Amino acid sequence: MSRITITVNGTPQTRDVEDRTLLVQFIREHLGLTGTHVGCDTTQCGACTIHLDGKAVKSCTVLAVAADGSQVTTIEGLAEGGKLHDVQQAFHEHHGLQCGYCTPGMIMASVDMIRRHDGMLDEHTVRHELEGNICRCTGYHNIVKAVLDAAEKHRAAHAVAAE
Amino acid sequence: MNSPLKTAAPDAIVHPLKQQKPESAELSPEMKLVQEALFKHVGKPIPRKEDGRLITGKGRFSDDFSLPGQTYAAIVRSPYPHARINGIDKTEALASPGVLLVLTGEDILADGIRDIPHNPVPSTNFDMKLRAKDGSHAFTGPHFLLPSDKARHVGEAVAIVVAETAAQAADGAEKVMVDWEELPFVTDTAKAAEPGAPTIWDEVPDNVFIDTTFGDVEGTNAAFAAADHVVKAEFHVHRVTGVTMEPRASLGSYDPETKRYTLYAGSGGAVRQKNELSKVLGIEPKDLRVLSFDVGGNFGTRNRVYVEFGLVLWASAKIGRPVKFTATRSESFLTDYQGRDLVSKVELAIRKDGKFLAMRSDNLSNVGGRAVSLSPLSKGSGLITGSYDIPYATLRARAVFSNTMCTQAYRSSGRPEVTFAIERMCELAADQLGFDKLELRRMNLIPPSAMPYTNAVGSVYDSGEYEKNMDRALEISEWATFDARKVEAARRGKLLGRGFANYVESSIGTPKERAEIEIKEDGNIEVIIGTQPSGQGHETSFAQVVADMLQVPVEKVWIVLGDTDIVSVGGGSHSGRSMRHAGTVMAMASADLLAEGRKRSAELLGSTPDQIDFEGGVFKLRNSNQTIDIFELGRRTRASHGPLRVIRDNEMHTPVFPNGAAICEVEIDRDTGHVQIVRYTTIDDVGRCINPLIVHGQTHGGIAQGVGQAMWELCAIDPVSGQPLAGSLMDYGMPRSDNMPSFNCEIAEVFSPTNPLGIKAGGEGGTTPALATVVNAVVDALSEFGVKDIQMPVTPANVWRAMNNGRKAS
Ligand code: FES
Ligand code: FES
Repeated sequence: MSRITITVNGTPQTRDVEDRTLLVQFIREHLGLTGTHVGCDTTQCGACTIHLDGKAVKSCTVLAVAADGSQVTTIEGLAEGGKLHDVQQAFHEHHGLQCGYCTPGMIMASVDMIRRHDGMLDEHTVRHELEGNICRCTGYHNIVKAVLDAAEKHRAAHAVAAE
Repeated sequence: MNSPLKTAAPDAIVHPLKQQKPESAELSPEMKLVQEALFKHVGKPIPRKEDGRLITGKGRFSDDFSLPGQTYAAIVRSPYPHARINGIDKTEALASPGVLLVLTGEDILADGIRDIPHNPVPSTNFDMKLRAKDGSHAFTGPHFLLPSDKARHVGEAVAIVVAETAAQAADGAEKVMVDWEELPFVTDTAKAAEPGAPTIWDEVPDNVFIDTTFGDVEGTNAAFAAADHVVKAEFHVHRVTGVTMEPRASLGSYDPETKRYTLYAGSGGAVRQKNELSKVLGIEPKDLRVLSFDVGGNFGTRNRVYVEFGLVLWASAKIGRPVKFTATRSESFLTDYQGRDLVSKVELAIRKDGKFLAMRSDNLSNVGGRAVSLSPLSKGSGLITGSYDIPYATLRARAVFSNTMCTQAYRSSGRPEVTFAIERMCELAADQLGFDKLELRRMNLIPPSAMPYTNAVGSVYDSGEYEKNMDRALEISEWATFDARKVEAARRGKLLGRGFANYVESSIGTPKERAEIEIKEDGNIEVIIGTQPSGQGHETSFAQVVADMLQVPVEKVWIVLGDTDIVSVGGGSHSGRSMRHAGTVMAMASADLLAEGRKRSAELLGSTPDQIDFEGGVFKLRNSNQTIDIFELGRRTRASHGPLRVIRDNEMHTPVFPNGAAICEVEIDRDTGHVQIVRYTTIDDVGRCINPLIVHGQTHGGIAQGVGQAMWELCAIDPVSGQPLAGSLMDYGMPRSDNMPSFNCEIAEVFSPTNPLGIKAGGEGGTTPALATVVNAVVDALSEFGVKDIQMPVTPANVWRAMNNGRKAS
């Protein structure tokens, strides 16, 4: 057992955990934040993607003790003040989700991708970078559309900010 | 004619489309009202209501539920494809830290826990009737939650271990000692049906438990004798699995005070789970409540009862605490109900001008260790002749047991298999006899004038404009300018190929559906319905239908589903049935509600119902300015008449036949054999389309699953050890964002005459032609190597081998 503190969606959370506890188990079972999903046991599906110190990671492949002292954002913490993040909004408008199981991971990965590329994305790059997030329902067509649309919004917003 | 088809449509049941319309079939005034109102609005691409919770992490999937004091289960599974259980020693497991309970097949028998009543033989009036060789009802292999005699496939559950934590349960499961006696096994479909194959069930020594011949045997023989050409081929549409992204999960609890069980488990329909699991436990259905909220993908795999659902309920009563089981991905690969696995031998008799005269098909379906569902074999049986007018056909349909996981309906159950066969036959025939592939198809297509068309095995196709679909698909795929693209690809060292496939499929599904609609006091409308979505967007499209019919804003309509204490009847979601069945029964219920509303407002306004009009959600006394809105009416008449609420049951047996065409272009790398899809075009006649945003989304997903099977997916089994080789997402090839193209999809709407809304079905049409069109494209790309056929999946290794074998041969 170890005592760890992780700041999740802005709130410091201190818990005693078994050393074998995964970060995703910490989030789901210890904190009850069930928006982050588990879809596999080999780091392949991306359903568990969260932001760890600002970067998208697969939380099934990080031990909770290794994340001690860090900042985590989950899907529950993405919308700010009741306003959906542009990526969430784009998934809704473009029907980028069906069953919704892959969706939290897809959105968290996409937010990070758009940030890293500063919104400069094309279809090929989006498809290449989302390869580690599996969706069984949508055939990816509308997910790609949603990410490109959100990237476009990001670019526009930053262009305005730069003026 | 001694065709067993006679049993499929006995004289007493005349197909509704072949009947004269009786006078009484006139629509009621309220039904006319709801139809008119609905048809004014449908076809709007409304984004979905359910998205709000799903994009913010507030979905309620099965594993998201937890109960106070809950315990965790782990399952001990067979490591062998076929092995007798000589005994199970629980001692060490029970001594393991945290372990509370261990149960085995012996305990099942001791407690009188019954087998799951899967009822695998499809049974609507228009399903093909499958029987044993001697015509009797088939032995389908009982499915106990845990077997006491032997394991019949790798991964079969043989014991459950319950502990304080999931990790302790897993540790405990390692310590259950099973005394195994390995037995000879067979996993291959064709081999399982060969004489001398190891016997899976003593009751069926040769493993073939279904053997039925359909169609006109003499007529077919005569047509073959008179034909100028006969083209023959054999196909294996291999085993795949659903890979729902949410692994299956269940949480069971028992309340000793009320003596009621509760199960949280995502499925294809909570009502079926309740009915079948209550039989397993030997309790009244009312003593089991099943809850199924958000479901992370189904595709057929979740329509049937899983043993773990029964196990957590049984175990929870034994220890007096809730028990949770969540499958790992490896467990899902081993033991989710799987799909396809059909071997077919096909012969096509052709006249010298290209007219198809007759067809013979011998279809063998591998159901695994026991029969959970014969839907794939049955659904495919009715469609072997595809979109073509083939006057005579004979089908021998067989099903065989083997030492593999059970198969079930999977995305467009049975249809891709037979579509693959007929569409590959078109290509082979054109190649062998020197016809143009498209012209050969065109001359044999069923014309619209022949609708409703009865095919040679007795299926009645309701409607469709097949040649128009074909023309439109060719046009939007830019078929005509292919050659220029091929030259351009060749410059980059790539082989460009194109594939075409027509399809027709059927949607029958469980025929019963119920809708309840109530005008609530708070100004909302509540609709209770028994279908279970898993991403199909029912909460939106159903709300949209009801809102349009009752002429109220869509935000006011709320769909309630997935709780058997509220939803009492419901066929679940499968076979593309939901919108058609639910839409129809909701239309009927809406009409009833308007009839009741007219009656009540007539009373209130001092008139008679025939003087009341309804428009914009408001009842209005004709030639007056007296009106009352539907919500106000509900409130004002609540005390005197009770809630403004209707319940409507409907039963619909008549199948519909969605149809269309798909075109695929692939680029193959000359050196590596890597295949990339560069264009993918579809036309789908879904009947009336309620929400195109949702229908397109369903089509995209359907395409990906069909393409996945054609290109990568395979439940491979090592022939020497009988061990499954695909146990994780690292060994099972999946459609991913970087190996899939964007799609070019169009919807065609030829309204079905079988239901008042004209709906056929959407989604499955993406999958049905995909296998054929991808393989046709790959064979086309490889034509210069003399390749005529290739086994799926078309992995680089298979393609490379085909290129090199062809080279040697030529
Ligand atoms: S659960 Fe983390 S990658 Fe699949
Ligand atoms: S929406 Fe179902 S897995 Fe992506």
